[in-house]
Amino acid sequence: MSIMEYNGGSVVAMVGKGCVAIASDKRLGQQFMTVSTNFQKIFPASEKTYIGLPGLATDVLTLSERFRFNINMYKMEEERDIEPKTVAHMISSTLYQRRFGPYFVEPVVAGLSKDNTPFICAMDLIGCINFAKDFVVSGTASQNLYGMCESLWEPDLEPEDLFETISQALLNAQDRDALSGWGAVVHIITPDKVITRSLKSRQD
Amino acid sequence: MNFLDSPLSKPAPYVVAPIEHRFDPYEDNGGTSVAIAGEDFCVVASDTRQSNGYMINSRYAPKAYKMSSTAVLSCNGFHADGVTLKKVLEQRMKMYKYSHDKDMSVTALAQMLSNTLYQRRFFPYYAFCLLGGVDADGKGAVYCYDSVGSFERENYRTSGSASALIQPFLDNQVGRKNQQNASTAPLTLEAVLRITKDAFTSATERDIHTGDNLQIFVITRDGVEEQNFPLKKD
Repeated sequence: MSIMEYNGGSVVAMVGKGCVAIASDKRLGQQFMTVSTNFQKIFPASEKTYIGLPGLATDVLTLSERFRFNINMYKMEEERDIEPKTVAHMISSTLYQRRFGPYFVEPVVAGLSKDNTPFICAMDLIGCINFAKDFVVSGTASQNLYGMCESLWEPDLEPEDLFETISQALLNAQDRDALSGWGAVVHIITPDKVITRSLKSRQD
Repeated sequence: MNFLDSPLSKPAPYVVAPIEHRFDPYEDNGGTSVAIAGEDFCVVASDTRQSNGYMINSRYAPKAYKMSSTAVLSCNGFHADGVTLKKVLEQRMKMYKYSHDKDMSVTALAQMLSNTLYQRRFFPYYAFCLLGGVDADGKGAVYCYDSVGSFERENYRTSGSASALIQPFLDNQVGRKNQQNASTAPLTLEAVLRITKDAFTSATERDIHTGDNLQIFVITRDGVEEQNFPLKKD
């Protein structure tokens, strides 16, 4: 029994032309039994930055609250919004503090920096950051997502095309994974707005 | 204390420690295969890399074999078992021909492959097979197997080290899953070849056991045609 696969779930993020997208499934399970079909795995960090947390659900809940606290403190002390790069390093150091008794999550960060340059990254459970220029994947369907993203993604996608690409990548990947699925949520982050859409999918 | 009573003068009696003798008959030689059935054709493709752990044994070690003028077999898993299985099947195909005075159809070959694998139920061939061809009605056929002969006829399937990467892509592009208002027209040979090459170039980027060359067999009513296509060698 792998702790990383106990509750299931997947997250993917992609870069587009002046925009980024982050998407996740909605399932929460205990091994093969589905417990909830509306479990949040993506959390807002600021107006233009989101954090995806697939992994052990109890740690998802603990860390999402801890990151919310840290980000609020940062905002009050600095009197400005936190940058996605800063969010990534805050998460990374939080995870590395538990180097020998880790939180079982593999976070994904997606956002636009203050000059609206796209930023995405993924981490392992002890906070080693992977800064990617194209896409990052995480969770129980990560292999499936690699295959989908590697074949569907292309550079400089406009927001609506990026939405279609990330949606197709996630839906087809999670349909081949028993531990992910039961709907999906997609956030498209553009300089002037964030579009959030809920996707219907196979319920099995 | 007398020296003769000390533990040094009376060492523990020598005992023969058990030595482990283990027989490791299997290895995983990596590699990936794809088979897609069209309306009146079938495409079977495999990469030609043969690896063992992080080592590359060969950059051109084909694992797809032409079995007849209407069938191609590809074997992922343990290369030696794949070669042996192919040899056993060829022997049994000859027996069939001498008994019945005709070539085996893919449908018959599919059932025979299952039986051959199941004969070794308790010491299996470590081979995960795909069988592609055109059946007696001239329709494209793909059969996929596990190592002990459980099989199913399907329209498309991938097996091997990058199967997790390719299968959802085939669901999307060949099965047209999650696509509303998509055309249901059967795929042309050109489209199938394009999808196959795209699947392998993408899988090669992320799977270290897949790469070097792509061997593609196109099976039609007129026979089997082979193509080769380079993949990344890193």
